[in-house]
Amino acid sequence: MREDRSAWLTPPNAAAPDTRMSTQATFRPRAGRWLVAGLPLAYLWLFFAIPCLLMLLASFRVPGEFGGLAPLVGSDGTPALSLRSYADLFGSTIYLWLFAKSLAIALVTTVLCLLIAYPLALLIARSPKRWRDLLLLAVILPFWSNFLIRVYAWMILLGPEWAIAKTINAVLGVFGIEPVTLMFSSFAVILVLVYVHLPFMVLPLYANLEKHDPALIDAAQDLGASPWQRFRYVTWPLSLPGVFAGAALVFIPAFGIFAVPDLVGGTDGIMIGNVIKQQFLETRNWPFGSVLSIMLTLIALALTGLAALAARPRRTAAV
Amino acid sequence: MKRAIPLWLWVAALAAYLFLYVPLAVVVVFSFNDSKLNAQWVGFTTAWYVKLFNNEQMLTAARNSLVIAVSSALAATVLGTMAGFALHKYKARVLPVLVFAPIAMPEILMGVALLMFFVLINLTLGLVSVTLAHVAFCIGYVAIVVRSRLAGMDESLVEAARDCGARPWQAFRHVTLPLIMPGVIAGALMAFTLSIDDFVITFFTAGATASTLPLQIYSMVKIAVTPEVNAVSTLLLLLTLALIAVASRIAPGVLNVSK
Amino acid sequence: MKTLKLALLALTTVAALAGCGKKETPPPPPPAAAAAPAKPTGTLNLYNWNNYIAPETVERFEKEFNAKVVQTFYSDNDELLAKLAAGATGYDILVPTSNAVEVLIRKGDLLALDHAKLPNMKNLKPEFMDTSFDPGNKFSVPYAYSTTVLGYNDTQLKKAGFEVKGLEAIFDPAVACKLKNRITVLDSPDEVFSAAFFYLGIDPNTQSVDDYKKAAEAIKRAKRCWAAFNSSSYIKELSSGNIWLALGYSNDFFQANLEAAAAKQDFTVVAAIPSQGAVMSVDNMVIHKGAPNPELAHAFVNFMLDGKNAAELSNLIGSGSANAAAMEFIKPEVKAQAAVFPDAETAKKLRQLKLLPSELRQERGRLWTEIKAK
Repeated sequence: MREDRSAWLTPPNAAAPDTRMSTQATFRPRAGRWLVAGLPLAYLWLFFAIPCLLMLLASFRVPGEFGGLAPLVGSDGTPALSLRSYADLFGSTIYLWLFAKSLAIALVTTVLCLLIAYPLALLIARSPKRWRDLLLLAVILPFWSNFLIRVYAWMILLGPEWAIAKTINAVLGVFGIEPVTLMFSSFAVILVLVYVHLPFMVLPLYANLEKHDPALIDAAQDLGASPWQRFRYVTWPLSLPGVFAGAALVFIPAFGIFAVPDLVGGTDGIMIGNVIKQQFLETRNWPFGSVLSIMLTLIALALTGLAALAARPRRTAAV
Repeated sequence: MKRAIPLWLWVAALAAYLFLYVPLAVVVVFSFNDSKLNAQWVGFTTAWYVKLFNNEQMLTAARNSLVIAVSSALAATVLGTMAGFALHKYKARVLPVLVFAPIAMPEILMGVALLMFFVLINLTLGLVSVTLAHVAFCIGYVAIVVRSRLAGMDESLVEAARDCGARPWQAFRHVTLPLIMPGVIAGALMAFTLSIDDFVITFFTAGATASTLPLQIYSMVKIAVTPEVNAVSTLLLLLTLALIAVASRIAPGVLNVSK
Repeated sequence: MKTLKLALLALTTVAALAGCGKKETPPPPPPAAAAAPAKPTGTLNLYNWNNYIAPETVERFEKEFNAKVVQTFYSDNDELLAKLAAGATGYDILVPTSNAVEVLIRKGDLLALDHAKLPNMKNLKPEFMDTSFDPGNKFSVPYAYSTTVLGYNDTQLKKAGFEVKGLEAIFDPAVACKLKNRITVLDSPDEVFSAAFFYLGIDPNTQSVDDYKKAAEAIKRAKRCWAAFNSSSYIKELSSGNIWLALGYSNDFFQANLEAAAAKQDFTVVAAIPSQGAVMSVDNMVIHKGAPNPELAHAFVNFMLDGKNAAELSNLIGSGSANAAAMEFIKPEVKAQAAVFPDAETAKKLRQLKLLPSELRQERGRLWTEIKAK
C-alpha cells in the first residue's frame, strides 16, 4: 500500500504549464488559508513532530528504575540527562554489527526484488493496453492482502512436510549432505522479506517503464543495436528513477522490520528492529531504544536521500 | 507500434506471478483442510470458519479494526484533503515536510515515538490512541492523491466561478470538490486499507485493551500454524477484493499508477 | 521567521510535556462500593495469561455472582509490565509471576487485599505463603505454578539413543548436537539464563555480571545445535514431531502430550526436571490499584481460592496448585507429573526467580541481544 510513495520521490510535473492565476492568496481571506493549511499542520505537529522530538529528548534521558523513563528533573532538582545511551550504542560492537547486518539483509532483499520484479514490470508495460489493467491488478491483489498473511503463507510452505523442503532435502541427500530445515533460518527471513515487498518494487517500475517512448527503442534497433544493447543503453538508464523509487520502497521497511525475523528467523536471526522492540517492550530501556530508532531513521533517510538524487530524470538515454 | 514480447520475458513474468500466488492459494485451499496441522490434505471441511465465527477474541478484534479504520479514514480524508489543497495552492514550507515524513520514515520509529508521546501525556492506550496514530500516517497518502488530482484539474473552471461572484468556499464546494471527488474517495479507500492492515504502528500504540485484526493474527501465528488462521486470512483476502471492486466502481482511475 | 517561531513553540511544548511525565503518586482508589450486604456483581476485568483459566470456572463464577468476566491476555510478564507502564488501565485482576509482583508492589500499583473478604485463604499451602517479596500476603495470593523443564519426544530420543537426565542435553554441544535443529529453548532471557546458571552450577539469582557473562558464553556455544528460540509454538512443534527436545514450561508439555495423543502420534511427550535444578514460576492473583470493581475482584479471588475451582485449572493445563484443598480434586494423571509434583528430594532443587536491579537488567539485555544477533 505504499505505491504512492513514488510520487513524492519523483518531482512534480515541472513540464505542465502553470495554470494557476494569481488567485493564490490574494482573493482568499487569510483566515481561510490558516484553517485549511493550519488544521492538518497542527495535527501533524501534535501527533508526529512532537512525538519525534520527544523521542530525541528521550535519547538523552535516563531509564526509570522499573523501566521507561526516569523523571526529567531528578530529586535533587537537576535535569536527569546523560549521553549514556549514546555511549551504550558505541560501547558494544553488537549494535553497529546489527545495523550492518540489517542493512545487508535489506540490500539483498532489494536486489532480489529488483531481479524478480523487473521482468514482470517490463512484461506489463509492453503488453497491449487492454491486458495491462488486468495484469497490473493481478500484481496488486496480493499486495492488498494483509502482510502477516503473506508471512504465514510461507510458514506453511517451508514446513518440513511440504514439497519445497522435501525436494531440497532429496537433492541434498543425493550429494550426501544432511537435510536442512528451511524454517527458522536466514534463508527463510530473506525469502519472506522478498515475497512481502515484491509488489512495492513492481509498481514504481511499471509506472516508469510504461512511460518509455517506444520510438527510442526502435531508433536504437534501426541503428543496429542488439536486444541486450537496447536494454543496457536505452531501457535501463531510463528506468533508473523507477528502480530507485522501488528500491526505497523496499529498503526502508525491510531495514527496520521485526515481525519477519521474529516469526521465521533462527537462533541468529534477529535484526535491529527486533532490538528496538525489545528495548521498548521487554528490557524497557526507553532512552536506548530511542537512540537506536534515531540511528535507524537517519540511516534510512540518508539512503533515501541518495535515492531521490539518483531519481532525478536523466536528460539523455545514451551513455 | 506493437512491441514484440520475447519468450524469456513471458517465462520470467509467469514465474513471478506463480511466486506471488501459489503461497496465497495454499493458504486459501488449506483453510478447508480437515486437519489441525497445515501439513497434508486430509479432507474438506468448513469447521474452521465456524470456529472462527465463535471466536470472541477474533470478532472483537475484527470489530475494533473496522471501527478504527472507519474513523481514521474519515479523519484522515478530511485532514488529508485540506493538506493536499494547501500543498497545491499555498507556498507552505513546513507542511510538505510534515505531511510526507511519516510516509518516508520507518514505521517502527513512528510507533515508538507515539507510544512515548501517549504515555507522557497520560493518554490511556486503546482504540483512541490507535486511531490518532493511524490518522497521522494516513494524512500523507490522502494528501498525495488529492494533490495530484488537483494538479490535473482545470483551474479555469474555478476562476470562472470566482468571476461569476462565487466566494472561495462556494467555489471549492461546487466546483473543485466534485472535480476532485474521485481522488478524495481514492484517498479515503487507501486510508481505510492502510489502517485496517497496519501492524507495526498499531503494535506499539494499542496497549493491552485494543486488539486489532493484524495484532490478533500475529498472536495466533506465533502460537500455531492452524487452519483457523487460514480461514481468517481467506476472509481478509475476500474483504480486500470486495474493497477493490468497490474502489474501481467509484473511482475508475484509482488503480492507475501512471500519472 | 515563522519557521523559527514554530520551532521554538515546538521545543517549549516538548520540554513541558516531557516534564509532566507519569505522575509518581497513584490516583486515589475508587471509593468502595456502598456498604451493601448484597453480593458483589458487575463486570470483572481479568488480565491473565493465555489459556490460564478453565472456561467452566469462568462460567460458574459468572452465574454465581451474576457478573460478566472480560478477559484480555498477555504472554509474558515483561509484556504485562510494559503495557501497565504504558498506561493500560481498567483491569481488576492481574496474574503476574512472583518477580513481576515484586515490581508492581514496589511501584505501588497494587491494591492491598482485604483478608476479611478472603476466607478461603486458609486453603493455601503454607510453603507458598508469606514470601520475601510480599510478606504477610498483603497484596497477592498464589494461584498456580509451573516449572521450567526439559520436554521431549520419547520415541525419537530412544531411536537416537539419547537419554535426557539434565541440562547437558541442551547445553553440552557434544551431546546437544546429536539432535541438531530438533531443539528449541524458550525465547526468554529469564529462563535461558537461569537454565545456563543451573548447568554451570551457579545460583540463578546471582547478581554478578561475571556470572552473566559466563552464562552468555555457555549459551552461545550451545546455540548452534538449537533450531530456534521459541516460547509460543513449540507445543505445536513437539506434538507434530518437528521438534524433539525443548526447554519449556511443564504446563505446555502436559498440553503437548494431550495433543500428540489426540493426533494419534506414535510418541508421548515426557517432561522431566533436570538433575541440576529448575525454575519454579509461581503465578499470583493481585488486584490493580485502579480496579474498577474491587468488591467483585475480591469475590473472584476468594472464589478461585476454593479447592474445587482451583483444581479445575490444574486439570485443564496440568499446572501445579498452591492450594492444599485443591489436591483432592486434581486428576491422578496430573498429580502423577514428576515435573510438577516432584518428590521432596527434587523439590529442593527448584528455585523462584527474584527481581533484577535495573543496571543488571540492562546488561543482561545487551548480552541477550548479542546471543540472538549472530
